[in-house]
Amino acid sequence: MHKEILLVEDNPDDVELTRLAFDEAKIANRLVVVGDGAEALDYLFARGKYSDRDPEDLPSIMLLDLNLPKVDGREVLQAVRANEATRTLPVVVLTTSAEPFDVEASYALGVNSYIQKPVDFEQFVWAVKQVGLYWLVLNHPRTV
Amino acid sequence: MSNITGQETGVDRFRLAMAASGVGMAIVDLNGHWVEVNPAFERMFGYSAAEVLGRPTVAFTHPDDISLTQSYLRGLIDGSIPTLDAQKRYLHRSGETLWAHINIAVMRDDFGAPLYLLVQLRDISAQRAAELALESRAEAEHAARDVSNRQLQLFADSVSHDLRAPLRSIESFSALLADRAHDRLDATDRDYLSRIRAAAARMSSLLSALNDLSYVTRAELKASTVDLSLLADWVGAELQDAEPERRAEIRVQPDLQVEGDERLLKLLLVQLMGNAWKFSRDRQPIRIDVSGHREGDTLQVQIRDQGIGFDMRYAHKLFEPFQRLHGPDQGGGHGLGLAIARRIAERHRGCVRAESQPEAGAIFTLELPVTATEDAI
Repeated sequence: MHKEILLVEDNPDDVELTRLAFDEAKIANRLVVVGDGAEALDYLFARGKYSDRDPEDLPSIMLLDLNLPKVDGREVLQAVRANEATRTLPVVVLTTSAEPFDVEASYALGVNSYIQKPVDFEQFVWAVKQVGLYWLVLNHPRTV
Repeated sequence: MSNITGQETGVDRFRLAMAASGVGMAIVDLNGHWVEVNPAFERMFGYSAAEVLGRPTVAFTHPDDISLTQSYLRGLIDGSIPTLDAQKRYLHRSGETLWAHINIAVMRDDFGAPLYLLVQLRDISAQRAAELALESRAEAEHAARDVSNRQLQLFADSVSHDLRAPLRSIESFSALLADRAHDRLDATDRDYLSRIRAAAARMSSLLSALNDLSYVTRAELKASTVDLSLLADWVGAELQDAEPERRAEIRVQPDLQVEGDERLLKLLLVQLMGNAWKFSRDRQPIRIDVSGHREGDTLQVQIRDQGIGFDMRYAHKLFEPFQRLHGPDQGGGHGLGLAIARRIAERHRGCVRAESQPEAGAIFTLELPVTATEDAI
């Protein structure tokens, strides 16, 4: 049973492209998509419309955009790292910006990896494939 | 002078001096009342002596300086302040603030007991006004710079994010379309799609460069000792990695050390060496030489190529943003690379110069101070 991948992304084009990239990369894990930071936290902490979820069933990885409606990616990261249950959840920032300031802030908040979404689709597929391979296959997660 | 004789001398000579002085002078009693004022004082305050004498000095003092005036008076009388040299605000008859530079001494009797205060006043209102104007202009400029830096930051963020995201959609969905509809499209259709993708790629590289330009303008410099030779080797390896099929000879003189921001200096070498690489496109092999020497307090680094060079008549345009001396077929890019290079050099209080002849290669000389001091921006 593959664990889920949580994609926090508000741009529907990017959601579609990420989905296609995961397909091309033959990554079978179910992709759960939430459109803003508040919903991402509700999902992780099984609150609001996700209150019937098992909060212990965490995704294998969260792919997080930085510029999000309501609660932005940096705040999501902060909340995730502040909570004992999600403190070690692998978080990969997958964003359009490669601003040194954004990169700096993300690492300061404890992100595991920071990836700039390439404009070129082939490179995008390649990047998603690498992320999948590393975090879903190679990496040995913490077992609680 | 003949009328000044004997006894009169002490008092009268003093009176005459007070009357003739261009400096405001006054005598104040120990209760802080004006006892005597001179004509210069009257002109300064806009009051006649008759209107002033016997009245407390605080009545003519700016409200904000009254308690200061009272503490001066106490200090002078009890001797804790021997003489006072200060700036304080009075009120002109018109109600305007009158800035005065004051000098106060205590007149004492033979036993040292205080009698009067002798006050000299110089009107410095004009000088203060000029200072204030200067200060507020400096503050306004500072604030404007903060605002423009913030705007630059916002602009850079939106360039980074909001402009790139749609570009990715254009690029990616045309790629997907080209793939999925391949068999249904004829050669012209496919050519159009590849033009769309190429344009998206060009715009993407332009956005990266704009972002770099704004970054190097506002990034805080983190100075350390930087080995430019190592950086140049690194940049050379990256250039070769990006086009492994090209044969290149990149020679770097070792131990070119300078103080500066490593990240920015790497970006600078990326621009200059990338330029050398691009314009040596049709050379086999590509030759790039990086060498340097100390000259006074500066390090002169030369990046030399054997490429197509450029016409020195246009050299002045080289470092301006968006100026290109070569079209895309000759390796010309977005026209921001050398502007970025110059900005980085300038932030290190250095500069970049270029010399060339068409078809005879180019030499870019980078001059950097050996010790880092950030250029105030």
